[in-house]
Amino acid sequence: MEAIWLYQFRLIVIGDSTVGKSCLIRRFTEGRFAQVSDPTVGVDFFSRLVEIEPGKRIKLQIWDTAGQERFRCRSITRAYYRNSVGGLLLFDITNRRSFQNVHDWLEEARSHVQPHSIVFLLVGHKCDLEAQRQVTRQEAEKLAGAYGMRYVETSARDAINVEHAFTELTRDIFALVRSGDITIQEGWEGVKSGFVPNVVHSSEEVTKSDRRCLC
Amino acid sequence: RIDPYGFERPHDYESYKEMMNEYVAVLNRRSLRWSRLLQESPHVEKSLTVKRYVRKGVPNEHRARIWMAASGAQERLESSPGYYRSLLAAEHRAPLRDAIRADLHRTFPDNILFRSEASLQSSLFNVLVAYGHHNKAVGYCQGMNFIAGYLIIITKDEEKSFWLMEALLARLLPDYYSPAMLGLKTDVEVLSQLVRMKSPAVGQLMAQYPGIWTLVASRWFICLYVDVLPIETVLRIWDCLFYEGSKVLFRVALTLVLHHQQEILRARCLPDLCQCFRHITGGAFSLDCHSFMQKIFSEPGSLSMTTVDKLRDRCRKQIQEDES
Repeated sequence: MEAIWLYQFRLIVIGDSTVGKSCLIRRFTEGRFAQVSDPTVGVDFFSRLVEIEPGKRIKLQIWDTAGQERFRCRSITRAYYRNSVGGLLLFDITNRRSFQNVHDWLEEARSHVQPHSIVFLLVGHKCDLEAQRQVTRQEAEKLAGAYGMRYVETSARDAINVEHAFTELTRDIFALVRSGDITIQEGWEGVKSGFVPNVVHSSEEVTKSDRRCLC
Repeated sequence: RIDPYGFERPHDYESYKEMMNEYVAVLNRRSLRWSRLLQESPHVEKSLTVKRYVRKGVPNEHRARIWMAASGAQERLESSPGYYRSLLAAEHRAPLRDAIRADLHRTFPDNILFRSEASLQSSLFNVLVAYGHHNKAVGYCQGMNFIAGYLIIITKDEEKSFWLMEALLARLLPDYYSPAMLGLKTDVEVLSQLVRMKSPAVGQLMAQYPGIWTLVASRWFICLYVDVLPIETVLRIWDCLFYEGSKVLFRVALTLVLHHQQEILRARCLPDLCQCFRHITGGAFSLDCHSFMQKIFSEPGSLSMTTVDKLRDRCRKQIQEDES
């Protein structure tokens, strides 16, 4: 039987080319790591359920985007920004330039999502490569603080903080939905409500229904 | 478990071998026919016979020659001696070099010929940097690495690969790779309209998910089906692409969609659909390149250049309006 979820959140993962966006998402959704992965051409899509509290499951739809600048041109990725409630903004801790570009990414995201807003998490990726580090944790935390975001360091290779990053972001969004700061809106895909377990009478009813997505 | 092009096939080697065992008879027959044709008319002028021959597949030993002749690349190469060399010798902008370098080791990591820097990776770098320097408006766009890679595998020659690249980007394809990517957005929209015409039910389903065609088809078009469909099938598509132009890309996309209508219509949500679209490019249907190519010319029915041109015009204008 397909699992039941309370809400569906749409997330977008952005950042410079080669910072490891696809690898991070694959580690999270498929539990594996490829030493080398193809550059993402256009947009890719992944999904996974997370349990933020016992019995409270959130369905995440995760949009992977190309890092190369031209794929960010308006109609290729704009719709994905606008319809996202949350995002992971990645840089590579061994690549200073990718850190310097964080500001541009944020500006771009903000210009696309109006009138909505996105809850971002700043992610310093490839933290297993400590010896090649070019961005200190302190300066990254400072930048995140200035933008009012949290900061997490992750490694897809060693599976460090990958669960943590996605779950924390999901929890933050969930809190905002609960407090009414984020509301479900017609014509916006960022947050959708799903099935509430106690109104479903039997698992059969759920699997039979074809009017709503359960996967 | 390595195919003749250098790709490791850990998952589908058996089915690939099986397909090739049957396909070899076709290849031998085509090979004989082509040798005879090329003896009679070595210059490969365009004719209905050659068109029919191309649609039935160009044998690998003649591929580079036919692609070069049919696309006009040979002519350019001959009229610009030393040009490729001069592009390589020129001073290249650092952002161009960096962008290409970032993708070198992640282009065909599953191909033994591309595995080390001493390998075809250096040819790949040369062809891409030369092209980016030649066409500064386009520079380097991800996706071009896959195309150049296949060209190098087939021609085994950097200069020829460069001129085939030039033929594709300057004449055969719409504006897919320039920073605005207008041609790509246009063709994605054209495809959605064609699907609506040929299969209203699928069109209707897809219309519920704005942006879905961009998600599904951008990669198909930008990579010209490299890494989307099996290599033997991609090469057959490229035979037609170099000879007849970009319309064949729609035929392929339409066939993939129409042939799997029932499967697609069962999808109930976006993840379902994405999964489904990942699924329909694999399997026996696309692996059996010879029957796949027959299907692309029958299954979608008639598709005139006039229709495609009209749709492209209309969709381009619409996109430009929306963006301004």
